[in-house]
Amino acid sequence: MIRFDNVTKTYDSKSQPALDSVSLEVDRGEFVFLVGASGSGKSTFIRLVLKEDRATRGAVYVAGQNVANIPSWRVPRLRRGIGVVFQDFRLLPNKTVFANVAFAMQVIGRSRAVIRETVPDVLATVGLEGKNDRMPHELSGGEQQRVAIARAIVNRPGILLADEPTGNLDPTTSMGIMKVLDKINQNGTTVVMATHDDDIVDTMRKRVVELRGGSVVRDDAQGIYVGDAGAMAG
Amino acid sequence: MRLAFILSEIGSGIRRNLSMVTSVILVTFISLTFVGAAGLFQLQINQMKGYWYDRVQVTLYLCVDNSSETSCATGPVTEDQRAAIQAKLESEQFAPYVDTVTYESQDEALAHFRDQFANSPIVDSVTADQLPESFRVSLVDAEKYEVIDEAFSSEPGVDAVSDQRDFLEAIFRYMNWASVVALAIAGVMTFCAILLIATTIRLSAFSRRRETGIMRLVGASKAVIQLPFILEGVIAAVIGAVLASAALWGASRFVIDGWLANTFPQTAFISSQQVLILVPVLILLGAVLAGLSSLLTLRRYVKV
Repeated sequence: MIRFDNVTKTYDSKSQPALDSVSLEVDRGEFVFLVGASGSGKSTFIRLVLKEDRATRGAVYVAGQNVANIPSWRVPRLRRGIGVVFQDFRLLPNKTVFANVAFAMQVIGRSRAVIRETVPDVLATVGLEGKNDRMPHELSGGEQQRVAIARAIVNRPGILLADEPTGNLDPTTSMGIMKVLDKINQNGTTVVMATHDDDIVDTMRKRVVELRGGSVVRDDAQGIYVGDAGAMAG
Repeated sequence: MRLAFILSEIGSGIRRNLSMVTSVILVTFISLTFVGAAGLFQLQINQMKGYWYDRVQVTLYLCVDNSSETSCATGPVTEDQRAAIQAKLESEQFAPYVDTVTYESQDEALAHFRDQFANSPIVDSVTADQLPESFRVSLVDAEKYEVIDEAFSSEPGVDAVSDQRDFLEAIFRYMNWASVVALAIAGVMTFCAILLIATTIRLSAFSRRRETGIMRLVGASKAVIQLPFILEGVIAAVIGAVLASAALWGASRFVIDGWLANTFPQTAFISSQQVLILVPVLILLGAVLAGLSSLLTLRRYVKV
């Protein structure tokens, strides 16, 4: 579903590359944790998949297509196939829960009838039944993140990228979010989650890819976060 | 659905940015008013040219006592000379150029003079023998004035050949200047309008960066992201253009139809109907200016 072929990304020619010859393959329907300290290259990975940046060297394939060959006018179509969730939720503060999720369908031209039918289903999937008309500021952090997840999956993307989705949440709430992400994964969506929340990684027992200084240093099929002091220092 | 969505985005953009949008409307209003004014001056010049050139007369002034021209060497014009001039004017040779010839005697000239300067004390001191006799020649084609001038200016008994066009051309020159000045002001104001539209779109893009960021993430097309901004500028500019058209129409209605046409009934003025020709031009100009400047701004400030 996602394949990195010797990908190097350098933002500034003098500094160390953000990603250094990374080769990695994520299969359809997998759940992958991307772990590592801040600055290890997790966010760069996500940006490259979305074609927000282009790789300095190497090739990034998403759904079998080399993103470097996608013309700029086709990039929106690429992004429709990918849902994204962030640490800071990024909801529209002046729109209701329903409108926030509906927004993602409106801007790609879905009809009103389809929106009215789909949005409540998706809100139920993330556990927000009956909160259609709430405003974001009336919700808890966990609920806001659920709205963001609902918005990310409402157009049924094949891939869900989550960049530290639990970074602003307490452990109990975080576990709730993980349950939602796991459910989405069970439904067939490939999930890549960047995190440095060791409890979550250790509990979920999914594939763990560890980045350090822009390189993949570990790729375990059912990994843990790793207590190794060297990893923390890196 | 997408159209309704884009319209609601435009609405919210304009509401959030009301003061800037208002200033865009006003600046385009003023700049397009000056563009239109320059256009009206040109229309008026053409109108007057058409009107006057049909009525221009060439006047052949005949010699009087103290004429200094060599063609007046023999003193005041004689019977024979006058007859020769009239015959030549009415001859086969000049038939293609000359439409009508009227003779004005010294007494008639005095009568005209008294009419023209009725309120001036100079009238009392002028006598008929100080004024020249003349032939008033109206031409088939006013542009062929040179032919008459060349053929008659050295004819014995002709003091001077004068063409009213010189006078008219001076008027047209002034009007041309006025339209150039209006155009210059329009240029400066249009430049202001372009900068202001660019700034407005930038502010608008900034205040909605959260929305546009999400739109990009969920794969909205470039058109859906950028169109609300472009249309916001275009709508403001078109409102400005409509105001400018209304102002020009109002001005022409009251100033030209209502005042000038009554005060100078012998002059041909453009009518307020002709102002309507300018309306689509101004609206198109406003829309194109706003569209281009917002498009260029968006390329820099709203990444897709």
